[in-house]
Amino acid sequence: MEAPAGSMVVYLLLSCFVATSYGVYFSSLNETLIVTATHAKDQALKAGEEQITVTWRFNQTYKAGTDSSYKMVKVKLCYAPISQKDRSWRKTEDRLKKDKTCPHKIVARPYAASNNSFTWTIEKDIPTGVYFVRAYALNAQDQEVAYGQTTNGAKSTNLFNVQAITGRHVSLDIASVCFSAFSVVSLAGFFYMEKRKGKASQQK
Amino acid sequence: MEISQNSDTNYRKFVLPVDSEHKATEFRLFSIATPHMRAFHLSWISFFSCFVSTFAAPPLLPIIRDNLDLTATDIGNAGIAAVSGAVFARVAMGTACDLFGPRLASSSLILLTAPAVYLSAIANSPSAFLMVRFFTGFSLATFVSTQFWMSSMFSPNVVGTANGLSGGWGNLGGGATQLIMPLVYSLIHDNIGSTKFTAWRIAFFIPAFFQTLSAYAIFFLGQDMPDGNYVRLEKSGEKHKDSFSQVFYHAITNYRGWILALTYGYCFGVELTIDNIIAQYFYDRFNVNLHTAGIIAASFGLANLFSRPGGGILSDLVAKRFGMRGRLWTLWVVQMIGGLLCLLLGKIGSLSGSVAVMLVFSVFVQAACGLTFGVVPFVSRRSLGVISGMTGGGGNVGAVLTQVIFFRGSRYSTEEGISLMGVMIMCCTLVILFIYFPQWGGLFCGPKKGVTEEDYYLAEWTAAEKEQGFHKMSIKFSENSRRERGKKGASVPVLSDKDTPPTIV
Repeated sequence: MEAPAGSMVVYLLLSCFVATSYGVYFSSLNETLIVTATHAKDQALKAGEEQITVTWRFNQTYKAGTDSSYKMVKVKLCYAPISQKDRSWRKTEDRLKKDKTCPHKIVARPYAASNNSFTWTIEKDIPTGVYFVRAYALNAQDQEVAYGQTTNGAKSTNLFNVQAITGRHVSLDIASVCFSAFSVVSLAGFFYMEKRKGKASQQK
Repeated sequence: MEISQNSDTNYRKFVLPVDSEHKATEFRLFSIATPHMRAFHLSWISFFSCFVSTFAAPPLLPIIRDNLDLTATDIGNAGIAAVSGAVFARVAMGTACDLFGPRLASSSLILLTAPAVYLSAIANSPSAFLMVRFFTGFSLATFVSTQFWMSSMFSPNVVGTANGLSGGWGNLGGGATQLIMPLVYSLIHDNIGSTKFTAWRIAFFIPAFFQTLSAYAIFFLGQDMPDGNYVRLEKSGEKHKDSFSQVFYHAITNYRGWILALTYGYCFGVELTIDNIIAQYFYDRFNVNLHTAGIIAASFGLANLFSRPGGGILSDLVAKRFGMRGRLWTLWVVQMIGGLLCLLLGKIGSLSGSVAVMLVFSVFVQAACGLTFGVVPFVSRRSLGVISGMTGGGGNVGAVLTQVIFFRGSRYSTEEGISLMGVMIMCCTLVILFIYFPQWGGLFCGPKKGVTEEDYYLAEWTAAEKEQGFHKMSIKFSENSRRERGKKGASVPVLSDKDTPPTIV
């Protein structure tokens, strides 16, 4: 019977080996972090205005020493399956290098086992969609070795909505409409000028 | 010499040497002499601006799709919409050119579609995005006015060159926009500091301004024909105002127009389809990053700088020795090779091999476009505009068809779609075998004995119309197109009706 710690070390060594050869696979990571995200209201959060508070800590039910290789934590905003549907540019891939589930960075912090908290104002370039939060623990070689997320394995619970900014401004709207109208009006002017030229040459 | 009311046009001096219709017989690229070369530069620049506007969205899609919450289906539909509007717009444009002249027809269309580009800046939903791409796409009908204008300004011996260069340099816009729009966007986003979702909106004003300015330039600086504008020529009686129904009838009853419409769908239509799908293909199959995929996509369109004009020049070159039969053979061979290369493109599994084949494929498929418009000016004289419009519209139909059949949904992988498209190109190109000009011949048959160019072109006018002298331009064109017999046919004596009044045929 091997001691659990021993098998854990072997496993970690193996995953490091795998990581250096092929890149890290998500399925090889353990969910050793507990992550929570709280927000002020239950409706869609407005990008650029509202905030979420993210906390993360090491799950003490795992053997102590499991987190010895964790050096850094990267917290990311991730798409829920419904926001990935028919959008292959947000596809989930097991190989983390190719995975596009979590493109938006919230914060990166040195690893601490507990007492981690960050309040993040949702950035203006976050698109409208349904999201959850995931934190990756990285080792000294900047490779993912563990993770934690606010939702379950099927990514169906505890999701929240974000409403993007439109990017429109009143000045843009006005400029658009004015220039469009100007184009059409100047065309009418052209036709009028052309008719006058025609009449003039007839009189010659 | 008869003295007419507008005697200044009879004694007018042109910078370039001209034929009896006052069309230029030489093409000087670096001149901007009125009216011929100026018309050339105005037409390719305005067509270029329309291409830039129509394909302004694809390079910015990574940002637009997040802003408007687009799905892959929305994006695909918008891409199809962008090229489908021009199908009918091109035929309508052809008619408008025949009736109102290319100057008014093109500046009107450009000004009417500029609002769609301005309003792209305030699109707020997938359906709004589809609408603006659909209406902006109408501007691709300026292709027809470009070709019509060149066919009106340049003599048969250089018409292929003029058409090829103006069409090719206009098409360049589809490649240039993949580089221009991201550049403009990053200038606005990084230097002015606008947020991503605002910066792309402001960026759209640039192609919109460019389009508006080119329309103004055409109106104020351009001229329909070497002798003047339609409105003045018609009022003074030099040009008769033709009837829409007659012009339309003679176009749709000419089977050669339909054949060329079909084959153009499999060179130009394929070019448009590739413009829409190639960046994604390289990104997905070979795992290059989006930036690199964009550059590869741009290089496909940028080959138009020399490949389409090359097709036009080749058409004229071959016609010197072999006449119209040479033009037809060259078109058939080049387009067939293009189809073969397309088939090959889908089969190649390496990145460098794929890029190499794609570049050679782009040269052949674009040269085929240039070669097609070396033949189009000769199909009809009276209905030149509608024939050009039908062929151009057929090009867009090909783009819609190939995208719907091969590149929508998951029935075929992209590489399977590309190979199958190559097969379809080769099958559809076979119909060129059926084109036959009685005065010059076809691919396999020689000309009918005793049939002249006059017989062919004057058949478009009724006896009553001939009595009124409406067909004068067709007589001049017939004389000028005798070169299409090639060196062999030139020695055959031709009955000249210079000494006989036009009423006797």
